[in-house]
Amino acid sequence: MIKDLYKYRELLKSNVKKEIRGKYKGSFLGVLWSFFNPLLQVAVYAIVFPYIMRIKTDNYLQYLIVGIIPWTFFTTVINQGMITVRMNAGIIKKVYFPREILPISVALSGLINFFISCIIILLFCVFGGLGISWHLLLLPFIAIIQFFLTLGLVFALSAINIYIKDTEYIVQFIINMLFYGTPILYTATLFPTTVRWILYLNPLTELVDFYRDIFMYHQMPQLHHFIYLVVVTGFVYVIGRLIFKKLEKGFAEEV
Amino acid sequence: MENKEDYSIIVEDVTKKFKVYYDKPNTLKERLVFWKNNKTDTHTVLEDINLKIKKGETVALIGTNGSGKSTLLKLMTKIIYPNVGKITTNGKLTSLLELGAGFHDDFTGRENIYFNASIFGLTSKEIDKKIDEIIEFSELGDFIDSPIRTYSSGMYMRLAFSVAINVDADILLIDEILAVGDQHFQDKCFAKLRELKESDKTIVIVSHNHSSIRKLCNRAIWIQNGHVRLDGETNKVIDKYLEECK
Repeated sequence: MIKDLYKYRELLKSNVKKEIRGKYKGSFLGVLWSFFNPLLQVAVYAIVFPYIMRIKTDNYLQYLIVGIIPWTFFTTVINQGMITVRMNAGIIKKVYFPREILPISVALSGLINFFISCIIILLFCVFGGLGISWHLLLLPFIAIIQFFLTLGLVFALSAINIYIKDTEYIVQFIINMLFYGTPILYTATLFPTTVRWILYLNPLTELVDFYRDIFMYHQMPQLHHFIYLVVVTGFVYVIGRLIFKKLEKGFAEEV
Repeated sequence: MENKEDYSIIVEDVTKKFKVYYDKPNTLKERLVFWKNNKTDTHTVLEDINLKIKKGETVALIGTNGSGKSTLLKLMTKIIYPNVGKITTNGKLTSLLELGAGFHDDFTGRENIYFNASIFGLTSKEIDKKIDEIIEFSELGDFIDSPIRTYSSGMYMRLAFSVAINVDADILLIDEILAVGDQHFQDKCFAKLRELKESDKTIVIVSHNHSSIRKLCNRAIWIQNGHVRLDGETNKVIDKYLEECK
């Protein structure tokens, strides 16, 4: 598979470019929207929650940003990736190329966007008085784990979506639920320890926690949490790829 | 003993069936509600096909419409997969089933060469090397830097064909596209195919243009109702085919 991808690297490259630029094509601000969007979202929550819901978390603005930007990475890739096979029906019917290229380019464009967005996080942390530390070196590793976790899901969803079109709507609903099932707006400590572990079954909770460790608290993520995340990611990726491989043979006929 | 390496394409016991849906269940609801009374028929397009195509051979697939020629070609490119059997190909394969895959109307001809060629698995360096040759072959001249939405359909086809034929492939699969452009361009394409044939490429063509097949191919395979009817020397097969089709 890697050999195939290397051969088709030009296609991968131009697809990634298309994904990054294509979404906001024609709008005045273009690619900048992919950075403004999460910031505007943060602005809304930063106003609503401290004043209306009376949430009192230290550095709440930074807390929100470190949560929302990885969350945006996750949802953008899922939303774009889920429909990528369907959107490229034209070329799938016409030529052979490794079909994995489609979901991979969506995930890669998300990863690149995320790394750029991290500059925003850093700016807020530095100017908010939180500073930076060597823990930032861990950032690429955590981001790549998120990349594989999301890619695994997108592999499965993009393939299933060809056969059952409801997938899109069901996943949309699950993502909405998941937003509240992940400590982005609130802290996990809100819950008593007896039920808190349920929250931590969600790999996104782990991820958001790790990003906060790195950016805000300047500490190492806890090892057992890290191992749990890697295991879940590996599992999701392998299953997702198997589903994709199994279903891809029918794409040209079913799409 | 026969050596597998001598063959470009080996088709073994291939059967391809298509599902014919009267009411395709697209949504979960339809799938759940109608899961029992789904009217599907299977239509067997190809049955028990066995073929071996040697390296350097130029083969024509002939037969009436709907006989399964194009399906066989699609199976060879791995756009679709057989229900039974196996197809092995040896070497870099390019298919000219439909021209202009991945073309974007708003981009210039030059940019589209890059898009199109990358789908065929070329890297930008390889395309850089070939781009002059491709542009020259297409005879588009200055139009190459205009967006392709301004092209006439003939120009569009010429560009697409030029890219596809200049991809350095070992195996070329061509579906019915010898009829691109005006007489002059057709002759040029034909000459290019001859040149490829001389340089020991394997070519498989689906075509109804018998006179050009006679000139180009040294083997013809007649497919009828999903079976290989006759396989052999071009003139013999075509003569027999024409005799029976009368």
